[in-house]
Amino acid sequence: MKPARLRALVGKELKDLMRNRAALWPVAISTVVFLALPFVIAIIVPATSGRPLGDDRDLVRVSAVVGAHPELTTTGRVQLFMFQQFLMVFLLMPITGAMALAAHAVVGEKLARTLEPLLATPVTTAELLVAKVVGSLIPTLAITLGALVAYLILIAATAEPGVIQGMLSARTLVLTVLVSPVAALLSLQAAIVVSSRVNDARTAQQFGVLIILPLGGILVAQFTGSLWLSATVLAFIALGLFGIWMLLTLFSIAMFERESILSKWK
Amino acid sequence: MIAVSHLGRRFGGRAAVDDVTLDVRPGEIVALLGPNGAGKTTTMRMMAGLIAPSQGSVTIDGVALTHTTGDALRGHIGFLTEAPGLWDRLTVRENLRVYAGIYEIPEPDAAIGRALDTFELRDRAATPAAELSKGMRQKVALARALLHDPSILLLDEPTSGLDPEITRGVRQLLEDRRARGCAILVSTHNLDEAERLADRIAVIQTRLLALDTPAALRKRLTAPRSVIRVGGDAVAFLPLVRSADSSATAEGSVLTASLGDAARDTPDLVRALVAAGADILEVRADVPTLEEIYLRLVGAPAAPGADIH
Repeated sequence: MKPARLRALVGKELKDLMRNRAALWPVAISTVVFLALPFVIAIIVPATSGRPLGDDRDLVRVSAVVGAHPELTTTGRVQLFMFQQFLMVFLLMPITGAMALAAHAVVGEKLARTLEPLLATPVTTAELLVAKVVGSLIPTLAITLGALVAYLILIAATAEPGVIQGMLSARTLVLTVLVSPVAALLSLQAAIVVSSRVNDARTAQQFGVLIILPLGGILVAQFTGSLWLSATVLAFIALGLFGIWMLLTLFSIAMFERESILSKWK
Repeated sequence: MIAVSHLGRRFGGRAAVDDVTLDVRPGEIVALLGPNGAGKTTTMRMMAGLIAPSQGSVTIDGVALTHTTGDALRGHIGFLTEAPGLWDRLTVRENLRVYAGIYEIPEPDAAIGRALDTFELRDRAATPAAELSKGMRQKVALARALLHDPSILLLDEPTSGLDPEITRGVRQLLEDRRARGCAILVSTHNLDEAERLADRIAVIQTRLLALDTPAALRKRLTAPRSVIRVGGDAVAFLPLVRSADSSATAEGSVLTASLGDAARDTPDLVRALVAAGADILEVRADVPTLEEIYLRLVGAPAAPGADIH
């Protein structure tokens, strides 16, 4: 894999994406929605209904999973639980928008008839596919990081005293630095595999939606309080996801049939 | 040099290309002619290493094109695809810059500058490809194919949709490349262009029907004709001309005959016509057009008015 070629291809992907404002809207909207949602549930609804979170016995019970935080009030501990739980979903959700872009990546090139000249160059399949993934990954991570900063600032501004300190933990670090990027990498790679195997953009997007179903499962488990993953467990999950990504990359290279893409796709 | 030997490709049960053997030497332009669906694009794609042949082989500068060597050998080739295939949201310069990076051109800005100048695209360098006309897009695609100064050019209908001025520029450019030793294969439906440009003509219709110089194809496939224009109605002299060529024709004041040895027999025929009272206004040799040769090869009927009868 040659760095100069990768740079050229990733640069192209980023320029193309940045100028495709319409395609970026779903990513931006899903990020804003998932940024606002925890504050609506943990701050706005209790404030407007006059029922503090600390009064809800079920929430108080499940919030015990965050551990003992003597510096926090009962409401503060429930807020910490909720913001921690939402953090995982919040970090993963921008991927769903980016996956729509990645799912379109190969089939889009084919439909625009830009793939054939590209395949006629010395570019290897690995270079092409890695560039496609990285080209979607960079903006996804940039959006996620920007949103994370906003998330933490809003928590500091609106939550009970001490909640923001509770958020700045090893768990948050592992989620932010390991789980989120690796999950994004894996999801985008899966979307690229789909994009390489279908022959129209709509099918690519339909399959792309299927890939985010596991995220829906995580979302449900998070809200019921039945899923609490420690920093160590999350680190192992990230490692496992990374291994799966490597296997998926090899699989996607093997599955990328230049010939059938050119001769069978219409 | 690029050569294919007994090249064939089947899609399902259908043979798109069958047993094609040809080569394009350095400093040579070969025109690839054939009807739609004859296998021209498939042949070019196999030569560019984009699809694998079902049979036969491709060699580039003596190295067999395989799955292992393909990535490196593609660096020797400039391939103009049927569609320009530009990234619409990128400018002309950005489109070229991506390919300069892919080909690892040492001084990309200089190479891009030369390409922009060659195709008179300098004032469009910052224009998004989506805003270019069809002709401009084709020029950018050509500039892209030549950017890395390849030794082999495979051009699929390079002047399709271009106006005559740009077409002439492209033709000149290909002649320049040929002079610099580039091996060039041009697929085209434009027989006039093939005639003007090509050193050799390859006619393909799934199989290779012919591969030779235009002159040799003429000699092999058509008989030279003598055209004699007389004063008045030529029909009166047709019996006399038919004594030399039973298939001779007369139309208006023009007699046309295919003589066995035109250089020897035409003066004799003219003398006979003069003796029969004909006023001879013009005598000339009629060279069969490439279109006639092509249509004969692919078995299609000649268009009405394509010939003098």
